Amino acid sequence: MSSLREYFQTNWAAMTLHDWIGLILTVGAFLAMVWIYSYVFNPKNKERLESQRNIPFDEENTDSEK
Amino acid sequence: MEETKYNFDVVRWFAVMAVVYLVVGTLVGTYIASELAWPVLNFDIAEITFGRLRPLHTNAVIFAFGGCTLFATGFYSVQRTGSTSLWSPKMAWFTFWGWNLIIVAAVITLPLGITQSKEYAELEWPIDLAIAVVWLSFGLNFIMTVAKRKTSHIYVSNWFFMGMFVMITYLHVVNSLAIPVSLFKSYSLFSGVQDAMIQWWWGHNAVGFYLTAGFLGIMYYFVPKQANRPVFSYRLSVLHFWALMFGYVWLGAHHLQYTALPDWTGSLGAAVSLAMIIPSWGGAINGMMTLSGAWDKLRTDYILRFMIMSLAFYAMSTFEGPVMSSKTVNALSHYTDWTVGHVHSGALGWVAMVSAGALYHLVEKLWNTKMYSAKLVNVHFWTSTIGTVVYITAMWVSGIMQGLMWRDYDEFGTLTYTFAESVAAMHPYYAMRAIGGMIFWTGGAIMLFNVIMTIRQASAQRSSSAAAATA
Repeated sequence: MSSLREYFQTNWAAMTLHDWIGLILTVGAFLAMVWIYSYVFNPKNKERLESQRNIPFDEENTDSEK
Repeated sequence: MEETKYNFDVVRWFAVMAVVYLVVGTLVGTYIASELAWPVLNFDIAEITFGRLRPLHTNAVIFAFGGCTLFATGFYSVQRTGSTSLWSPKMAWFTFWGWNLIIVAAVITLPLGITQSKEYAELEWPIDLAIAVVWLSFGLNFIMTVAKRKTSHIYVSNWFFMGMFVMITYLHVVNSLAIPVSLFKSYSLFSGVQDAMIQWWWGHNAVGFYLTAGFLGIMYYFVPKQANRPVFSYRLSVLHFWALMFGYVWLGAHHLQYTALPDWTGSLGAAVSLAMIIPSWGGAINGMMTLSGAWDKLRTDYILRFMIMSLAFYAMSTFEGPVMSSKTVNALSHYTDWTVGHVHSGALGWVAMVSAGALYHLVEKLWNTKMYSAKLVNVHFWTSTIGTVVYITAMWVSGIMQGLMWRDYDEFGTLTYTFAESVAAMHPYYAMRAIGGMIFWTGGAIMLFNVIMTIRQASAQRSSSAAAATA
């Protein structure tokens, strides 16, 4: 455990503005991905999402050009 | 219901030019592959040496062929999926002429040695500015067409096209930041390891967002349309999109393992590369499973064969890439021909084959006819597949042999082989690679012939129908 703590040891005082921006963006992207996974796999959203599969076949039946 | 008037004229021109550039770009590639096998083909002419023609080859296949394919399929599918016409047909024509003029500029400047020497971003600063303007014209037109769609939801293929647009704009602008010292010479704003990092942040994301995201946009529209079945799982496509968008930007550092770049950066690049196998395979399976219950279509539909085979290559190369990015494998594979083989399994197997499938589909729809010769489509399919396999097999063997020869040393601790010996050992594989390229090029030439004959056939059919109507 102590080695793990050592491995993840961070000198917070030495963090620059760029470090903080990077950290916030990275953690934000991770949380956004978690949210997307939970949204997509939530059974409540299944029908709503899967109904969009047919969009390419819903178009008006015309090949006309202009 | 009011009939939608689509703008397909510009799509037709992009589609035809894409096929022309496929033939030209792979011809240059085959020639430079032959130069490596038989250096006499340099003829001591600086303008046609490998160093000058290689960037011309990459620019021709990636930006000329790939770009025209993306513009044709993007402008087509965004209208179809939104049941609307283009926001600005005039701007679409500006994109067409602008992009083709940029290609002409590349054809002139690169053989003359006018280059920034940044891989996949060789063109000098005035051309870079032109690329930005023309690219923005495509993106603006695409996004505004999406905005005026008649459907409530934005279909997933359009997400991929827009994701590509946003990311490539950002990547191109940052990577091309340079100080011009004359009309044809500039120096990058970055230097040393920062320059290398920016270069591969761009280089790998050109693959990730241009050659992958853009062509996945093609896949998500054209595979269901050609198979006449909706995509297997829309939810999987949503995950595929977001995972790709969040994940790909981290990968570039895996090109710089064992360099001056901080060690953790390469490890992070490799770790995220391995994680990317999940969405990539999810996408490939999603495309292939669209045929679930209708696999028999592959027996008769040669266009669909292109698309499904391209997904097999997509799955293969998105597994191979992460494996190569790990430090253990990278220690052997980096700087060898294995990388060249990997790139071409993606470029020929995935990008070119999904493009060919989509372009055949487009030609039939745009000219409202069937292909002049279905048999020739099948011949093209097999030449593409065999040519790609011959090419990548040669490079796998050559690359692994190179890696092993370079790091082999004897009991005294000295290198067993000189570099020149490793070059000599490559000769049979370089000849084999050139032959694979020639086979692939033949397929492209057959496609061009078939497309021209199909257009002529459609024109003849229209003329005879018009004559019959008048009579």
